[in-house]
Amino acid sequence: MIMMTEELKAQRNVPSDISQLPVVWRYELLKYLRSWRLYASVIIVIAVMALLYLLPPLLGESYSGTDTGTEVLVTPTTTVPGMPDGPYTVYAVGVLNRSQIDVDSLVVYRDGAMYPFADGSNWFLSEVQYGSASVYTIVFLQNVTGSVITASYEWYISPESFETLFLNFASFLIIICATFFGADAIVSEFQNRTGYLVFPNPIKRSVLFLGKFSASVTAGFMVVTIFYAVLAVLSMISARGIDDDFLLSFGYAVEFLIAAMAVAYLISSVLKGSTGATVLTFFLFVMILPIIDSVSAFSGAKIEASLTFSADAMIHILADPYPVDQVVDFGPMILNSYYPDQVLAAVTMAAYALASLVLGMYLFNRKQLAG
Amino acid sequence: MIELQQLNKSFGPIKAVDDLTLKVEKSTTVGFLGPNGAGKTTTIKILTNLIGATSGRALLNGVDVVSDPKMALAHVGAVVETPEFYPFLTPVETLSYLGRIRGMSPQDISSRTNEVLQQVKMEQWRSTRIGKFSKGMKQRLAIGQALLHEPDILILDEPTSGLDPRGMVEVRGIINDLKKEHYTIFMSSHLLGEVEETCDKAALIDHGKLLVYDDIDSLGKLTKVMKLEVVGSSAINDSVVGRISALPSVVQVERASQQTLVVTYEGSVESRGDLLKGVQAIGVNVISFSPVGLPLEALYMDLVKESR
Repeated sequence: MIMMTEELKAQRNVPSDISQLPVVWRYELLKYLRSWRLYASVIIVIAVMALLYLLPPLLGESYSGTDTGTEVLVTPTTTVPGMPDGPYTVYAVGVLNRSQIDVDSLVVYRDGAMYPFADGSNWFLSEVQYGSASVYTIVFLQNVTGSVITASYEWYISPESFETLFLNFASFLIIICATFFGADAIVSEFQNRTGYLVFPNPIKRSVLFLGKFSASVTAGFMVVTIFYAVLAVLSMISARGIDDDFLLSFGYAVEFLIAAMAVAYLISSVLKGSTGATVLTFFLFVMILPIIDSVSAFSGAKIEASLTFSADAMIHILADPYPVDQVVDFGPMILNSYYPDQVLAAVTMAAYALASLVLGMYLFNRKQLAG
Repeated sequence: MIELQQLNKSFGPIKAVDDLTLKVEKSTTVGFLGPNGAGKTTTIKILTNLIGATSGRALLNGVDVVSDPKMALAHVGAVVETPEFYPFLTPVETLSYLGRIRGMSPQDISSRTNEVLQQVKMEQWRSTRIGKFSKGMKQRLAIGQALLHEPDILILDEPTSGLDPRGMVEVRGIINDLKKEHYTIFMSSHLLGEVEETCDKAALIDHGKLLVYDDIDSLGKLTKVMKLEVVGSSAINDSVVGRISALPSVVQVERASQQTLVVTYEGSVESRGDLLKGVQAIGVNVISFSPVGLPLEALYMDLVKESR
């Protein structure tokens, strides 16, 4: 056997925690890259996105189309909400009932004859804010009372509506990632006895914990990034653009991923079996916390501290303007609609991540391979 | 050097390790013996940072593994029980992972990987994912990973467990080779013959307490009860057997064949001659008079019986 020289042995120092962290991360990530879980997550992403994309058109609700000769309901008025008085006189407005239209394709007819834009002397098109919704509005600068106004135009779904349709699935996808990549990450070292191989090494448990956690987050990040990237491409195709707050939504999604993963690691540090940890993580996010959110809305007590409630910010952030809490009185019943505060949601998720990581690491440090 | 100082470990009301004090000098191989539940594996788990101690100290090269496990384990190689490996990695990748954690350079890892895989006869499967390996292959790889960084101290918990007879011989051969390279080896085993064959010293524990710790040769002399095989030149009749049973210090006489008796005898090794004289005086023409079983086994049974 060729022996290492004494000099070489002496030179070999105990590596620093910082240098060990990427080593653990790298080999843990390799585990996910070679496991069915990552591929299953990607397949779920593709399958669900295909379903969401194809189903509405198959059910008759297209993402784009052309309205020809559609009658415009004209309302006589002299003022337009949100529009300052200008060097013109408004006679009436007519609303086009589509979220997005191709302005260049718009042709207006008055009593069947083309009614030209005429450099804005006959009418002009404006996006007018009605409550929380913005709608395309034809503002008439001539008296069209008694005339039948029709219009032809190409329309398409707005990026906000299109992306919201898909983002309802994003939080579920993140829960799947936390379950697949985090729920048994710690407990399996004990249950599968791999701890017997790794723990008797010159490495702190906290470094192992953080290395594994960062690998789990990386695996989840890959899945979430694929989801958002595909959504961006589909949005470009179907909604002809991406919502202004799309990247903010992605940011919230990544923050929720980190927080959910931290909670999964905490559960994994507490429980003794992989199955229990996996089931508890999944049901905590898909059942227990959503039940608390529902009860919150029902009872009229807004619970900002719920992780799943805060995570909804990734969907609501697309709404322009950001929705505000509403209380609707139906007589015998009052319906509350609560929306997480944007800043508070970010703080709440960060708090969950930090608290779960610290507690999970503490428990992992104390956990013994006694079985 | 390994040093246990008044080490204690309790699991609720059960004291698994009870005030254990033991010192393994540098470059010695020490066998750690005891019946099931004696506290062997618990002690080894404390030494390898798998569990904590209730009190006391466990020093590896002078560093307490309980208070500073990272530094204490820097030059330690360990095989505890039969460890499981990450099934998605190959032996080369596993050794690379562990080598990097231990601070080895890529060059060292590469050269040592080839050496240890050759040493534990796993070269053929170097690039096969471990998920497909048998228990014996995993045990060999476990020994390989423990040797990877050429530690000063090797801690082995039943290193031949799960191996077939050929594998056991190979592992004992590896341990004997390592002895020549002046490793400090601390190994637990159920196999007394294995300890006698490979170790310089042995420590016997039961109920977490150290019963005896000495050189293998000295331990053999400590035993009070031993078995001796007495072979006569002709058949030994029952009346003679009865008279032998009545000799001083004879505990039991069993007949192995017409000419052969196994005499269980209590006394020192030196007084064995008195027994021979007594048997001959009865009229047996003794053609063979030899101990049966291993001295360590006799001592083990003796001490464990006393402690229970």
